[in-house]
Amino acid sequence: MGVVSPLGHSAQSAFEAARAGRSAIRRLDFSSINRLVAPIGAPVENFEGADHFDPPKLRMLDRVSQFALVAAGQALADARPELTSVERSRCGVFVGTGMGGIGSIDDGYHTLYGENSDRIKPFMILMGMHNAPAAWIGIEHRLTGPNLTYSTACSSSAVAIGEAWGRLRRGELDLAIAGGAEAPLSLGSMKAWEALRTVATVDESDPSASCKPFAANRSGMVLGEGAAMLVLESWDRAVARGAEIYGEIIGYGLFTDVGHVIRPSIEGQAAAMQAALQSAGIDAAEVDAINAHGTGTLANDSVETAAIKLVFGSRASGIPISATKALHGHLLGATSALECVLSVEAMRHAVALPTLHLQQLDPQCDLDYVANAAREGAKIRTLLSSSFAFGGTNAVLALRTAP
Amino acid sequence: MTTTFERLCAILQKDYKLALDQLTADASLETLGIDSLGVAELLFNVEDEFKINLPPEPVQLLTIGDVAQFIDRLTAAQHGRDDVADISSSLTQPHTAFSPTP
Repeated sequence: MGVVSPLGHSAQSAFEAARAGRSAIRRLDFSSINRLVAPIGAPVENFEGADHFDPPKLRMLDRVSQFALVAAGQALADARPELTSVERSRCGVFVGTGMGGIGSIDDGYHTLYGENSDRIKPFMILMGMHNAPAAWIGIEHRLTGPNLTYSTACSSSAVAIGEAWGRLRRGELDLAIAGGAEAPLSLGSMKAWEALRTVATVDESDPSASCKPFAANRSGMVLGEGAAMLVLESWDRAVARGAEIYGEIIGYGLFTDVGHVIRPSIEGQAAAMQAALQSAGIDAAEVDAINAHGTGTLANDSVETAAIKLVFGSRASGIPISATKALHGHLLGATSALECVLSVEAMRHAVALPTLHLQQLDPQCDLDYVANAAREGAKIRTLLSSSFAFGGTNAVLALRTAP
Repeated sequence: MTTTFERLCAILQKDYKLALDQLTADASLETLGIDSLGVAELLFNVEDEFKINLPPEPVQLLTIGDVAQFIDRLTAAQHGRDDVADISSSLTQPHTAFSPTP
């Protein structure tokens, strides 16, 4: 597993930060920041592209591709799949991203409209295109199998992981790099999110506490950036080569809300969870924990609570539910992959990760959200990780610990 | 007086972090990590620095010396050899010396 995130630059460091409840949300500082109503986000700190790429290549890489490449490199170095012994055409790359190289597109349009100049840089298209992160991973590691990019907003990387898993399960591939990448902390992107009125107001007493999933005083989501990548392969192949197996994907459910383009529905979210259970061939009673979508928006969190109740009935109140976006922000197309990695680590370390800043209880959100502090000693064998997207593509991964 | 070659090398040092001892007239751009796509971007910056317009036709430039000579030819054709007057106001049409396939 590989991670470049607001919580840290590795899966382990991100997990430890989450476990300790260290929020990475902060006031941002870049030119024109004063034009934002809520100048907060969860940036990847101490990341310089020049530390990872030579200058000619770096000039072609938007920040989103830089994150993706570094995370994929980490994941491969960690998994050590010995690519030399693998048929490259049976290795695929599956990446989710909601906004692609939005920073480069933002820069180009600034030149065109802001500076009234026609001197748009030659690389704007190749830096901005959504499939650039996946393409660069394929090029870097010479993987000639399917190279696919999924853009289903907030569920993009759950879809990427789920679709890769499906191909592996059907025997179409031997190995996949799957995950997500996002770099939306540019002025144009952030203003657009503000305009939609889904972004949290700044908690002036503690900006890092601005995202409050499931709390009565929640006011919205906070954008984050980064990438998370996983190396996926069939169970038998991983065992045969003696790989260290961190966890197993046992199911993947999709259900599309068609009632409204951004308004979530209880039935739609519940159906995606049910689909994941069915895909995994397990009963709801076998689920030990949930990684919630938990954005901190008024609409999502009460709907998600009701959807969990619909799926789990009287058991719902006994299932620990973690909403880690309070810690790392909403990484949009990369968030599901980061949350998948954090969930795998949480299962491995028997920890239920905390939902921070949950002091004021919302009567409509009355389940066990592991409020404010991690719960150690939580035996979690099976976990659902939920992602519910604008556009309606609800995706849920069912994860299991390695035996 | 700063030569075309020296001004070009200044761009290469600044944008591509290349060391001065790598920058010889016969140094291959590809070897320096600047492939044909990179050359397209290099020439974009050259247009700004030398205040010239690139022709739309593709051109093959393999070495730093090739690029310097190309700049000199364009400068002579567009301004006269010693004329580097500010013509930035005329730099409104996009030009490329590289034609990628979408």
